[in-house]
Amino acid sequence: MSKKKIVAVILAGLALNTSAYADDGWLETYNRGMFDFNMKADKYVLKPLAKGYRAVTTPDVRLHVRDFISNVKEPSFSANHLLQGNVDKTFVSVARFAINSTLGLGGFFDVAEGWGLKKSETGFDETLARYCVPDGPFFVAPLFGPFTIRSGVGYAVDGVSTPVYWGAMNDKNYSAKISYGFAALSAISARERGLELLDDLEQNSVDFYSTVRSAYLQNRQKMNSICASTNAAPGYDFDFDDEDYD
Amino acid sequence: MKIKHLIAAIIGFLLMIPQAHAEIDAAKAENFIKKTTQEGIVEIINAKASTAERDARFEKLFNSALDLNYIGKFVLGRNWKTASSEQRERFIDAYRKFNIKTWSKRFDEFKGKEFIFKSTSPSRSADQIFVNTVVPMDNADPASVVWRVEQKGDNFKIVDIIIENVSLAITARNEYTAFIKKSPDGIDGLIADLEKKIAQE
Repeated sequence: MSKKKIVAVILAGLALNTSAYADDGWLETYNRGMFDFNMKADKYVLKPLAKGYRAVTTPDVRLHVRDFISNVKEPSFSANHLLQGNVDKTFVSVARFAINSTLGLGGFFDVAEGWGLKKSETGFDETLARYCVPDGPFFVAPLFGPFTIRSGVGYAVDGVSTPVYWGAMNDKNYSAKISYGFAALSAISARERGLELLDDLEQNSVDFYSTVRSAYLQNRQKMNSICASTNAAPGYDFDFDDEDYD
Repeated sequence: MKIKHLIAAIIGFLLMIPQAHAEIDAAKAENFIKKTTQEGIVEIINAKASTAERDARFEKLFNSALDLNYIGKFVLGRNWKTASSEQRERFIDAYRKFNIKTWSKRFDEFKGKEFIFKSTSPSRSADQIFVNTVVPMDNADPASVVWRVEQKGDNFKIVDIIIENVSLAITARNEYTAFIKKSPDGIDGLIADLEKKIAQE
């Protein structure tokens, strides 16, 4: 069976499980297994790298690295703002990319922010949410961590819509080096920011997988409510249901 | 309609009457959160007192501002119904101590920060309301912190805190329900695990 077929079978299987909040049976068994695997990979690879990165850099350097990563993703923000019908934000985003890539020395300095062009991150996941594409069930991807079907599709599309990926396509000699290098830098930078938070959460959790799953899905509720038909008042989604006290 | 259903409907109706609370006072609820956060920042985080003294102040504030009986009942979810009264008491006690321990440590994160109040949002329960605040952060977008407040007579209590779209009560309930389902000792296993975490340095 080819890789593509395996992926198709997995996606079809996941799609059958229509509720993002149902987590039992084989999917939970798989998710917990993969979560444990990812935690080990984090413990022995990503977390030490993030700690090392923090040890050899200053907060200022890390801020510029984050600005650089964000600038690489800026064309993807622009495209998605346009797809979502946010013309103003599209113009701001295009201008930010032009200014920061040149005057901001390849994006290492967020010059545009100082000129009042505020960063507004978005992605294909949010675009799909705006067009009312359902979220789908929760699953844990090897090494990449928690996703829903929609956020997974969004992540993949965002990944191939960055200039790093286009650049790599044009020059096969550097393709792997550049895209893997950028992916590694993004992962280490993001992990460095979450060092304390994740340690705290893990230490104080009696079932870390459930904590992560619950927080991940709750965090998506706001995005899921942007679809006009399901628009809810702020905070409303966090109401306790009557059945909670049956 | 079966007689059983009819009786259940009548009992249900009767139970609803004493629960019909007056509408919550939004301005007072917001003031309660302002006072609580102010007290926390001025008298605990920024105070020049010993760690023990600050921990004691935090515990006092925590106990007076939060309705732990309500939260404890919510986070146990359907397991609350099957728990014995002794288990319920032990759980609430462990949950209270566990939260005081974890939050007195986390509280320092708010040093030098302030809460900006952004009006209130209604809740489905007439005696509850959401007080919306944001906390400006260094080098990042402001963090959203929403306080779920209930009113009992003239008293106000916090029943949930929603940080960056994640409800602490809902997260704890999902986590504890999953733990109890897996644990051979059920609720007792959960209480033992919480007590172990409280004892840890």
